[in-house]
Amino acid sequence: MWTYLRKRILQSALPLVAVVLGVFVLARLTGDPSKLYLPLNATDQMRSDFAARNGFDKPIWEQMGDYFLGVLQFDFGESLRTGESAATMVLRAFPATLQLAGTTMIIAIVVAIVVGSWAALKPNGIADRIVSFFAMVAAAVPDFWLAILGIWIFAITLGWLPTSGTDGGVSVWVLPIATLLLRPVGVLAQIVRGSMVTVLGQPYVNVARSRGAGQMRIVTHHALRNAAAPALTVAGDLTVSMVNGAVIVESIFGWPGIGKLMIDSILQRDFAVLQAAVLLTALAIFVLNILIDLGYAALDPRVRPAAKAGRGPKAASEKQEAAAHV
Amino acid sequence: MKISSPQHRAKRISMSIAAVASFAMLASCSVANSEPEAGGGDAGTDDTLTVVLTQEPPTLEACDANLTSTGVVVRSTVTEPLIERNPTTGDLEPLLATDWEQTGDTEWTFTMREDVTFQDGTPFDAAAAAHSIDRAVNGDLGCDVEGYIFGDDDLEVEAVDETTLTVTTPAPDPILPLKLSFIEIVSADTPADEMAREPVGTGPYAIAEWQAGTSITLDRDEDYWDAAPEFAHVEYQWRSEGTVRAAMVTSGEADIALGLSPEDGAGDLGVSYPNNETIALRFSGQTAPLDDIRIRQAINYAIDKDTIVSSLYPDGDKVAAELIPEGIVGYNDSLEPWPYDLDKAKALVEEAKADGTPVDEKILMPVRTAQFPKVSELGEVLREQISQAGLNIELRMVDTTQHLQYQTKPFVTDEGPIAMLIQHGNQAGDAQFSVEQYMLTGAAQAEFGDPELDELIKAAAKLTGDERQAAYEEVFQYEHDNVVALAPIAHQTVMLALSDRVTYEPNSSTGDELRIKEVSLAG
Repeated sequence: MWTYLRKRILQSALPLVAVVLGVFVLARLTGDPSKLYLPLNATDQMRSDFAARNGFDKPIWEQMGDYFLGVLQFDFGESLRTGESAATMVLRAFPATLQLAGTTMIIAIVVAIVVGSWAALKPNGIADRIVSFFAMVAAAVPDFWLAILGIWIFAITLGWLPTSGTDGGVSVWVLPIATLLLRPVGVLAQIVRGSMVTVLGQPYVNVARSRGAGQMRIVTHHALRNAAAPALTVAGDLTVSMVNGAVIVESIFGWPGIGKLMIDSILQRDFAVLQAAVLLTALAIFVLNILIDLGYAALDPRVRPAAKAGRGPKAASEKQEAAAHV
Repeated sequence: MKISSPQHRAKRISMSIAAVASFAMLASCSVANSEPEAGGGDAGTDDTLTVVLTQEPPTLEACDANLTSTGVVVRSTVTEPLIERNPTTGDLEPLLATDWEQTGDTEWTFTMREDVTFQDGTPFDAAAAAHSIDRAVNGDLGCDVEGYIFGDDDLEVEAVDETTLTVTTPAPDPILPLKLSFIEIVSADTPADEMAREPVGTGPYAIAEWQAGTSITLDRDEDYWDAAPEFAHVEYQWRSEGTVRAAMVTSGEADIALGLSPEDGAGDLGVSYPNNETIALRFSGQTAPLDDIRIRQAINYAIDKDTIVSSLYPDGDKVAAELIPEGIVGYNDSLEPWPYDLDKAKALVEEAKADGTPVDEKILMPVRTAQFPKVSELGEVLREQISQAGLNIELRMVDTTQHLQYQTKPFVTDEGPIAMLIQHGNQAGDAQFSVEQYMLTGAAQAEFGDPELDELIKAAAKLTGDERQAAYEEVFQYEHDNVVALAPIAHQTVMLALSDRVTYEPNSSTGDELRIKEVSLAG
């Protein structure tokens, strides 16, 4: 397990560095940020002072070197916009997105499993058609439009929910999660339904039925575990894009998350914050991918890395035993 | 018969843990970094005014207060300047300074108001004023107000005694008091070598809490020197979507929402008001064919400004003849806007063509996305109208940073002739700030110039009173007749929403400084 983790960490280090380097260079190619941060009639002296203060007058290789040296000491630079430490801003924004994305995905997975399985029980039956239809609508609907519609109906017209913001207990979560939920549920329900149909048609399911297992037990105990792998892949993918920032929902509902922070720092050419945000998000995605791999292993014993390696201490002693018996 | 193996047990335990964890997360139900309030976003608490802005202020540092997103919270609410410009009359009114006069060619003397304390208890006096001015203008902080108002000039400040301050300028400056109205006075304890994100001022409200990403709360300062404002607290929130800002007011979650457009759905609660912004096209007059004055005139004749205003901006925008609106010192009210005359435009283009001007050269028109409502529609209309005159013009929508590459020095010189859409707001109230940015040869936003116009501009800056007014009027007239560096389009209006609970009269400065002490409970 630890060998496996070590290997994955090393494998991911290089892409991580490449991503940050890429963002570093690309961001600086987009134009002179001094025009954004200095008044329009700033003099040339002011522009060169600004450049000197922020290290933009150095060649890009030097800037990169300085930045990576800083990163090794956990200094991710300062925001051009606010003057705060980039790390502080990013670490402050990330939990808000994590809460939103995490809660949404858990609900999405549960709902998709229930709805997808129900649809798969009788392929092309009424339940199946209804679910497929709504799933496709849900996957296709634009979240911007849905969010505004939700606010208009539930907040303004009916007055049941707050329009936006993060103050107010459970009710502030309803609209953002409902908006974010639709597409994952739509996509996942279809995936679950598809792989459940395949699994439920397998011979061992018939065997289980003939041995007297009830519908519930067949679905939960036998079928789901085998149908889960494709759903896990897609769920992981969807979570990644949500962790990347539910930008639209965060912007509309005033949720202080990392998606909004990233978009704002791109538009404002706030390089340090952008780099820190990308680094943190990339790290989160890397952790998520490991968790997904471990999830496969948990679901399917055949996939477990330790059994395959044949290099672990237990396997070695087994070999010795086998050799001793010869 | 179920066999409960250790593996099954482990699996069930781990699934139960996962389930409990997710319920715990849901149940904790408070968003990271925010504290759920007992009242839950209810603007109904009589003593709290809730204002929703377009974005979170990047900082509340007082020396950056000329930045709209900072000033809207800070100016005249948390901090105050020595002198305040009345946005309606244009007059300078005493605030922390009760009196002022020019006591030398380059020297002004100000009398400080007595019995004023900062929100941290320290006394306000000439030394504190000197410290604030020195810090903002002469220091190395890179304060925005320094660049915006004072350029490279430094001021010599001296606190002669507790209530007397002298300010000496490098050259005679008749509008120094107006310039000083941009410097917010902060406590003498404010460090001069670092920015203060949450300043201490003399204003009616002190900063109570800044929940990053979520809200800013101000508490009324009970020791404020002037009449106490009505609300005990002010809470600022921000939403980037105009429809959501309007929705917060219509649903009662907020009292004031700024930066709205008519489509945002504020309905009867929306109030339109002129905001000092003027839109125009600015020409790169050194690149053919825009170096031919006939082409620049043709573009002015080709734009049907009346139709643009009546169809895109019917809520109060006015056709513009010059870069500044009424109410700014130097506004020339006898200058007529360029009339819409397509035939004349075509004739001028033909004439220029016959003389060898390359009228088929593609002119680029950069327009900033989301700069103001319906900006892309405006871009399309302009492109269409200018093409009808026989010119080859391309519309390019760009984001803020790209737009700024075209807008300020060093300009973009390798993309051919450029006629870009600019939006200029004269916050200061004096034409000097506009003409010295856009018309003076070599200025930050002037692509070309005219030596005679430069002389007129420089002479006007030295005058005061009626002479100053007349001199700047002449500047605009001359520019219109002989230079045509711009094609003015319209003076703009903007909208805010006010809940039924409050009364407030917006004015042209509202977007730059929302003076909470001017907001009161309705009825």
